[in-house]
Amino acid sequence: MPFDIDSARARLPGRRIEWYSSVGSTMLEAARMAREGCASGTLVGAEQQTAGMGRHGRAWHSEPGAGLYVSFVLRPTMDASRLPLLMLAMGLAAREAIVKTTGLSTDLRWPNDVLINGKKCAGILAQMDGGGTVIAGIGINVSHIAFAPELADTATSLKLEGARASREDLLVTLAPSVDEFMARAAAQPSVVLDLFTHASSYVLDRRVSVDQDGGFLSGVTCGLDASGFLRLRQDSGLEVTILAGGVRPV
Amino acid sequence: MTIKEIEEILAIFHASGVHEMEVQRGENRLRLRRGPTEREWMESAVPATPSAPAAPTSPPPAKPAAPDPNETLVKSPIVGTYYDCPKPEAPPFVKVGDRVEAGQVLCIIESMKLMNEIEAEISGVVAAKLVENGRPVEYGEALFAIRR
Repeated sequence: MPFDIDSARARLPGRRIEWYSSVGSTMLEAARMAREGCASGTLVGAEQQTAGMGRHGRAWHSEPGAGLYVSFVLRPTMDASRLPLLMLAMGLAAREAIVKTTGLSTDLRWPNDVLINGKKCAGILAQMDGGGTVIAGIGINVSHIAFAPELADTATSLKLEGARASREDLLVTLAPSVDEFMARAAAQPSVVLDLFTHASSYVLDRRVSVDQDGGFLSGVTCGLDASGFLRLRQDSGLEVTILAGGVRPV
Repeated sequence: MTIKEIEEILAIFHASGVHEMEVQRGENRLRLRRGPTEREWMESAVPATPSAPAAPTSPPPAKPAAPDPNETLVKSPIVGTYYDCPKPEAPPFVKVGDRVEAGQVLCIIESMKLMNEIEAEISGVVAAKLVENGRPVEYGEALFAIRR
């Protein structure tokens, strides 16, 4: 069923929403609108992305009509040193939208993957330009009934987990959650750190590996620092701070 | 490349705390690298304070040279991991000696899946790339020297 954009717009008054049946990437469209001066909170979505973007050049699988693929234009007012916290906040927002809409139990994998039963159902990627505008892309797998073999062991959808969720309901819940958690990241950073720590099984005492610069670091997680970076105690006893990189269970 | 220019480059290298640096001027190319140790690599995931410099490939200057007034340092606005190309195996955004325009993307700093596109603030020529691909950078750390 096509996305009911009229319904979504009516339930999100005052928010500009651009919706495409097919687009290369909602990230690029949102970036274009940001350059044209659109307001913070402006949203770009699509039924299908032909070139969905994942982390560092990876593709994001965007099955037509099966997922919620949106990008928010955000103009955060917080100090640059707090911007990484915004990424934890986006994970909390996506998680909240999924929980409120479906009632499913979720987990958060640092920095912001939303997992259900250990498999990823939502991913987030953001870009910041030189002017401080952030484009936050959020992809939620809603009604996929299967994934490509290379994703089958690690990806899931709300439908595969037993939930019948409408994409319109998800978006109408997600948009105010994004606003709320962005404001919290600016005004109450310690609250965001606490919420994330409680919502994620990956922050404390979790054995993981992290890809770093062509290699891997392995160890046990030991909390977040004040900026939201993940602390990892390696088997040698040396503690390191993870700034970026894919965290995977071992 | 004159001795004075080498002194200037060494001063930038010492001040930056970076691991490796390559500078090309005309037909001369100077490559500086600090001696890596296992411990240094282990700590590379940490937003570390600059480590003590290892022996450079040229004699150090008697005293640090003054910064070149024609060069502007591009600094990182955020803590994160430095990428000099848009994706693995892709060519770098810029190379030493390239002409760049103000606003042109020079690199990406990734901080928790937030990709920061770092742009040239002025037009000029890339005089030095100060950070090795994939390494962590601190807030305010020098990434490039751009010569007007």
